Amino acid sequence: MNKENLQSVDWTGLIEPVIPPRKMRWLDALVLVTGFIALDWVSYFHPLLGLNITPWDPAPALGLVFLLRFGWKSALWIALAIFLGDALIRDLPFTMSAALAVLLATGYGAIGEALRRRLKSEEIFVSRRGLFEWVLIVVVGTLVNSAAFIFALTALDLIPISEWTAAFARHWIGDTVGILVTMPVLWLVSGERGRAVLRLLVVRGETIALFLATAAALWIAFSVGAESEFKYFYVLFLPIVWAAARQGFSGAVLIAAVIQIGIIVAVSRLGFSAISVLEVQMLTVVLAILGFFVGVVVDEQRRVSSELRHTLRLAAAGEMAGALAHELSQPLTALSAYATACDKLLQQGDTGDRFRDAVRSIVSESERAGEVVRRLRDFFRTGTTQLESVVLEDLLTSSVASFSGRAEKAGIRLTLAPVADCVLLADRLQLEVVIRNLLSNAFDAVSHPSAAKRRVHLSAVMEGPGRVCIQVEDSGPGLSPATAVHLFEPFASTKSSGLGLGLVISRAIVDAHGGSLWAEIGDHGVFKLVLPVEGKLAHGDK
Amino acid sequence: MATSDCTVFIVDDDVSVRDALALLLGVHGYRTAIFADAESFRRAYSSDCGKACLLVDIRMPGMDGLTLQKWLLESGSDLPVIVMTGHGDIGSAREAFRAQAIDFLEKPLNQERLLAAIEEAVARHSAFQAERDRNVVFTELARSLTPREKEVMDLVVSGRHNWEIAESLGISSRTVEVHKARVMQKLRVDSIAQLIRLSLGVSSEGET
Repeated sequence: MNKENLQSVDWTGLIEPVIPPRKMRWLDALVLVTGFIALDWVSYFHPLLGLNITPWDPAPALGLVFLLRFGWKSALWIALAIFLGDALIRDLPFTMSAALAVLLATGYGAIGEALRRRLKSEEIFVSRRGLFEWVLIVVVGTLVNSAAFIFALTALDLIPISEWTAAFARHWIGDTVGILVTMPVLWLVSGERGRAVLRLLVVRGETIALFLATAAALWIAFSVGAESEFKYFYVLFLPIVWAAARQGFSGAVLIAAVIQIGIIVAVSRLGFSAISVLEVQMLTVVLAILGFFVGVVVDEQRRVSSELRHTLRLAAAGEMAGALAHELSQPLTALSAYATACDKLLQQGDTGDRFRDAVRSIVSESERAGEVVRRLRDFFRTGTTQLESVVLEDLLTSSVASFSGRAEKAGIRLTLAPVADCVLLADRLQLEVVIRNLLSNAFDAVSHPSAAKRRVHLSAVMEGPGRVCIQVEDSGPGLSPATAVHLFEPFASTKSSGLGLGLVISRAIVDAHGGSLWAEIGDHGVFKLVLPVEGKLAHGDK
Repeated sequence: MATSDCTVFIVDDDVSVRDALALLLGVHGYRTAIFADAESFRRAYSSDCGKACLLVDIRMPGMDGLTLQKWLLESGSDLPVIVMTGHGDIGSAREAFRAQAIDFLEKPLNQERLLAAIEEAVARHSAFQAERDRNVVFTELARSLTPREKEVMDLVVSGRHNWEIAESLGISSRTVEVHKARVMQKLRVDSIAQLIRLSLGVSSEGET
């Protein structure tokens, strides 16, 4: 399992449209009912008055996942599961428990429907907005649901009036915490892509380290800090923030689940009181939500940067394609001319030297075209470079020569200082793109009407051993600190044409060559390009 | 079908393109002359090169193709120009056509369009030259006119009626008729329309 693979999955993995609901099969219903009862059973501790009022209730989370995936019909199965749970675990009178089950399931069904409608165009757990609305709907929904449930219990005389507030608080917090902490992990497990993401995550070395760190944090919080009332609970924030920052939302979800399980095990083994458990659960939900938000932000940032990289790659490819198209059109022109000539020669019955030479030329021109195509393909594949020995002087001379016509036309004095004799190991075509881009910018700068003199000066001097500094100076207005800051950001162009990607691509190319490119702030334009030098030009090499 | 007395000047900095185009046009019966840059073409070119046309690439080191085209136009050459480019953009196409290019071809070239353009260019050049030859002959013949005949001709060409000419020169309409007939005979034209056309060709050439 490689890292690349995970990188490409971990944020897209969660993008699963909530709507439309899938058709529920019998197996799904069975999983829902048994899962619901199992979670109910596991979390049935510190019950209030033998009722299903516990400080931790993850079963509704499973119910909500099914409601989101399969629609409102799941509410019927949830009602059945609650009823069976009451019968198996709590042993309540049948009619009463049936009525309560319907009441609760209706509430969960309403929460599920609200989530589905609110988040129908949005993808749940993918954006900050989606996450925020999810939290809000769950908190408010369970509040209403718990109020109705406890009111019914009070009306049925199962709870004395005096216990009303305590019962309500415990049920509400138990449900909220259960849903908020557990629903994301169940959501991931219930979806194919989510499962794939978790599978990839679990086998990573870093995740193992995270598990160990979580275990250590749990030990510190509940063993060392046992006597001091959760004094060290904050230690648990470390692993979840680590997971969220490194692995995004899915990492946070995984660690939140582990922490939740650890806390439940700890509080039951340490025999915490119901009130203490409630307090710990409040802390857990804060911890989980913090982790989820950090994770979602990390995912969003990663997604944006990946989209930008893709855009940049395309733009760079476009720029390269322009340069390569010219190189490609030459051999193609020659090829078709040779081929047409051959056709004509054949018609004339001339298969002598002229014909043979033309055929040979066709072969060599095809190879030349193939070379250009190979270069383009390499660029698309890796974004990197075709390295060859490039004599710096030749590179700069030819770049200046290609601008001399434009300089003459615009009345710009374009000069090239004597170039330090050195050879670069570089992609000639890419460096030409960079230098042409810098010269083009300099020309634009001095073409500004306010520019009194119109001068562009190109020079290259050795800068210490093994590095050469190529400098493009222009007599234009220069850069203010404010412009310089945004200069290398995409789409920051001050020109009306083009996307302003020229400098971004130039810098990307220079970076790929192990060099650096920057603009100096001053009263005239100065761009510096430092590149590593491969060697000196051997004498008589030219 | 082209005849071998037409020369196509090919100016392109790419050696294979030059070579291939020379071969192609060669097998189609054109004489070709190839140049690696605009400067060497400019040094070699003289206006009495017979029937010819220029096939030039825009992007070349040193002087580019459009500049060369403008230089030809400014120096009064009537050599038809076909412009080729690997980077076809509207700006350079417009520039080329404003400088009276025959065609603007994008590389990779379409051979049929290239050959058609060359044929058109050569045809245009020979038309130019025929026109020029006619003008030369006409100017030569016009020298044999007497001053009075020249006056009559100028007035005829400017569209005056016989009686108007008679009035302005103070002669009879009958005499105008006689002068007109002698002018047409000396200049070897059959109609007034032909006379007007030829004399306009000469005067417009004199203006440029």
